[in-house]
Amino acid sequence: MPSTASGRLSRFWQKNGAGYMFLLPWLIGFLGLTLGPTLASFYLSFTDYDLLTSPRWSGLKNYEYAFLYDRRLGNAIEVTFTYVLWSVPLKLAVALGLAMVLDRSVRGVSFYRATFYLPSLLGASVAIAVLWRQLFGADGLVNQLLFMVTGIQGPAWVTHPDYALSTLIVLAIWQFGSPMIIFLAGLRQVPQDLYEAASMDGASGWRQFRKITLPLLAPVIFFNLVLQTIEAFKAFTQAYIVSGGTGGPVDSTLFYSLYLYEEAFANFRMGYASALAWLLLVIIAIFTAIAFGTSKYWVYYEDESR
Amino acid sequence: MSRRARHTRTQVLRHILLSCAAVLMLYPLLWMIMSSFKPDELIFSEPAALPTSLDLSSYFEGWTALRTSFTTFYMNSFIIAALAVIGNLMACSLTAYAFARLEFKGRKIWFALMLGTLMLPYHVTLVPQYVLFLKFGWVNTFLPLIVPKFLAVDAFFIFLMVQFFRGIPREIDEAAIMDGCGPWRIYWKIMLPLSTPVMATAAIFSFIWTYDDFLGPLIYLNDIDSYTVPLALRAFVDSSGGESLYGELFAMSTLSLVPVFIVFLAFQRLIIRGVALGALKR
Repeated sequence: MPSTASGRLSRFWQKNGAGYMFLLPWLIGFLGLTLGPTLASFYLSFTDYDLLTSPRWSGLKNYEYAFLYDRRLGNAIEVTFTYVLWSVPLKLAVALGLAMVLDRSVRGVSFYRATFYLPSLLGASVAIAVLWRQLFGADGLVNQLLFMVTGIQGPAWVTHPDYALSTLIVLAIWQFGSPMIIFLAGLRQVPQDLYEAASMDGASGWRQFRKITLPLLAPVIFFNLVLQTIEAFKAFTQAYIVSGGTGGPVDSTLFYSLYLYEEAFANFRMGYASALAWLLLVIIAIFTAIAFGTSKYWVYYEDESR
Repeated sequence: MSRRARHTRTQVLRHILLSCAAVLMLYPLLWMIMSSFKPDELIFSEPAALPTSLDLSSYFEGWTALRTSFTTFYMNSFIIAALAVIGNLMACSLTAYAFARLEFKGRKIWFALMLGTLMLPYHVTLVPQYVLFLKFGWVNTFLPLIVPKFLAVDAFFIFLMVQFFRGIPREIDEAAIMDGCGPWRIYWKIMLPLSTPVMATAAIFSFIWTYDDFLGPLIYLNDIDSYTVPLALRAFVDSSGGESLYGELFAMSTLSLVPVFIVFLAFQRLIIRGVALGALKR
């Protein structure tokens, strides 16, 4: 009876059963922990929800509040953008600079590479954030060295509203190791004879960098740029620890993620926090779209005709 | 100047530059380690000095400075990290095998959706997942930190494994099918044994990321007896109020970096190769 429903089902199972058996754990996770929550979060963003009573539909109120009235959100966005726009370019510049120095010097490359990479690996931990807090504290290492060298008594960087964010930017730059390793791998692909030919023609180092290294490395730079930008937008732990969980002083390190966490888990405004999550998704999507949109003007892939 | 002499000079300059950068990079870490062996009053008075004696008292006092000792925190951290590694390896490799090798209806759509989850910032699912786990009664247990790994929620590892599985010659499984092997045997006896590099990479990074994770434990673990090491360090910062416990704080921070550092030393090549492939974000 090939046309009955159960017959069709059993034939479907014979052909596809093994695949779905293997897929089952992921499928449960995807539907139950990713897709379901994503839809739920979208719904919750139009509600008032404090966990105790069930969600109450409030229409566009959350978004209206976010766009028109929430000054702390405006501040959080400003702080996060400042962080992204400073830390990502500087981090990539340091990464590229050291990758180029490392690429040419033969001896001890693996030692230097490991040394420069180590902070990237450790940097996400709470321990490093704790260290940073002490390093840039009123009588931390930075001020001690500053005093020894110049005799100036530095401010308490982490508790000063003008400087707290810059300590976090320095912490991000300190973790330049992983983009550096990606740059190193990219530099290996650049044919050495291009440089030799350029030297013969008398091109200066700077010219060689601009005309050979940069264009050939553009895809790698693009990759690092997108990846690091997204990561920077999502930053949470370091700001939480360095500011003692407050985003302070005076909200000067109130990263977007930190604000979202506070709204959800300190103020129990779950609906509003969901709206914030969707806003962040849109912000990241816009940034990624800009990167991809402009990439055709500055990123050339080798297999493409120029 | 001869070409050779100039070459030597630039080499020396490069090494000076690189060593300076290396010292600058490592100095904060060294400062923390040195400080952890010093009595508190010396930490801030002589920043550059090596400790005169190996004073371990900060370690002993720090270990038990909170209401619960660090023995519990390390146990918690290692239990969660170990189960996360097992979960990720099992669930992600099963999924990756299905995507890389098996034919079934809807494979392309599921695969595209899986790639889509890579782009999704964790913020979006944060609140509903919390509500879900709260309803299950899982808050203040390790389950919210472990169960998702057994359901292959870290799509990134699936992606990594799919790439690797696709590189294994198909002739090998075709030969096995001729010999009457089913998909389970091929997965277990052929794919997994041939995939040790990618499995090791996935294991290393799931360990490091879970061990370092702060937001997850912060949200789900409220009771100090269930704290992981990062949460305990935060509690330490709060309880010491910034004063007088610096030595202990540095000692416990230093100690908390040791597991990751050991993994780094043991698997340096694998880690750096993984990063170089552009596969890993950190």
